[in-house]
Amino acid sequence: MPHLALDTVIDGLIRTLRDTVLPAVQERFARGQLFAAIDILHNLRDRIEPLAALATAEADSAAAALREAAAALEGAPRATVEAALIAAPLAPPLARATALRAAVTTTLAVLAQLPAGTAAQARLPLERHLAAQVMRDVMVLKPSLLEEISKG
Amino acid sequence: MDPLAPRIEHFLRTHLPDAEAVRVVACERSTEGFSQETFVVEADVMRDGRTIRQGWVAKREPIAGLLEPYDLEPEFRVLHALTDDPLPSPPTPWFERDPQVLERPFYVMERLAGDVPVPAPGPSGQGPFDDAERAQLLPAVIDTLARLHAIDWRARGLDFLGDPGPDAARRELTRWESRLAATGFALDPSLAEALHWLRAHVPAVPIVTLVHGDFRLGNFLVVREPGSIRLTGILDWEMVHLGDPLEDVAWCISPLWRAGTPLASCLCPPEEFVSRWEAATGHRADAARLGFWSVLALVKMSTIMLTGLRAFQDGRTTDLRMAIFDNQLPYLYAMLGSVRGWLAAA
Repeated sequence: MPHLALDTVIDGLIRTLRDTVLPAVQERFARGQLFAAIDILHNLRDRIEPLAALATAEADSAAAALREAAAALEGAPRATVEAALIAAPLAPPLARATALRAAVTTTLAVLAQLPAGTAAQARLPLERHLAAQVMRDVMVLKPSLLEEISKG
Repeated sequence: MDPLAPRIEHFLRTHLPDAEAVRVVACERSTEGFSQETFVVEADVMRDGRTIRQGWVAKREPIAGLLEPYDLEPEFRVLHALTDDPLPSPPTPWFERDPQVLERPFYVMERLAGDVPVPAPGPSGQGPFDDAERAQLLPAVIDTLARLHAIDWRARGLDFLGDPGPDAARRELTRWESRLAATGFALDPSLAEALHWLRAHVPAVPIVTLVHGDFRLGNFLVVREPGSIRLTGILDWEMVHLGDPLEDVAWCISPLWRAGTPLASCLCPPEEFVSRWEAATGHRADAARLGFWSVLALVKMSTIMLTGLRAFQDGRTTDLRMAIFDNQLPYLYAMLGSVRGWLAAA
């Protein structure tokens, strides 16, 4: 899940196009195209929101893993995990996913305090969830332009 | 020509008192390196009636960036101390704190010949080197790393970096945990899992050496000529410190710098890199310590990216290159999963 809010990213794009790229472009048609790009971004900014399906997939996976982890625990550790599950809002999808992600982090902290043998069964569903989520996050990425960005 | 050129020219003139004239003919901000601001300078310097073109690189503290809070002076002091060493680090004569000069502290080093291959698959998909180049470059890289780790840092006056002794690993873990917390972002579960493991597996470090901190493909300066490739410099000493030499080994062989190949820094299999380093240094690459540093390497890189993202989110930098790290972090978390073993379990 991205750390930067969508409006922050779009504001950054507008600023870079206007302040860094535009001054370096001399050809009039190209400058016109840049202004058009800025205009489009300005108007997109307040009309788009993150894809709900991605957040829903993460939230459902995290919730299932947490339920399984809680079932493998007893006493206070189990209660902590279940409380984090219950505290997560049902909607909107982004808020739910964010809360359940924090719940996974909390559960990992709980397990880190337990003897390895006690924690092992509870760790398995969480590790499966981490693996699946990492792959979901990677699958939506486009080919990196890091090499081009470095070389200019 | 970068707008800072006249001020850099004035600085050079005042620091080259034996020169009759100094004229900057080129000054461009480098696109490589996402941390300090790097300016590549060429100047015509006249001495005894003869004009010679010389090259320098000026490194300036950014307003905000990946490794904040910034302090260039320790890095400068290390490079300056190594100026006469056969280790291929750039000779670094000057450091300036006065904001009147370039607004923020900076240092100037001599420009070494060469280009910097980046950790990218390249047209062949095998990284930036072919087989012949790897065969020539690998021994030079190993030899350079071994010589770095053999430097008598006390004799060079580098104990100002702080000798951590056997607690070198704990010091680094604490350093990167603090930086991660300073980003203010909620901890991703992948990072949380890694940190718990690291805290439970901090090794005692039996030997303290100078540690480059960023020794890897992407900081190797090379010169290519028909049929040959030479290592001419090791760049980017921002993260230099005293610590466990295995930290440098783990960083160099990390999946971070393999560009999709199975090769450490696109040079050789990781196991071969480690055994060559052992042979060159006489040190043993303890598996437990290497494992610790391998995980910390990925936490460190994640933290660096998150620091850049925080600076962008807060508006302290407008550099879009910081914003792209949101598209890099999932790959790092996947590497963590692979190194920690939970991704293979999926």
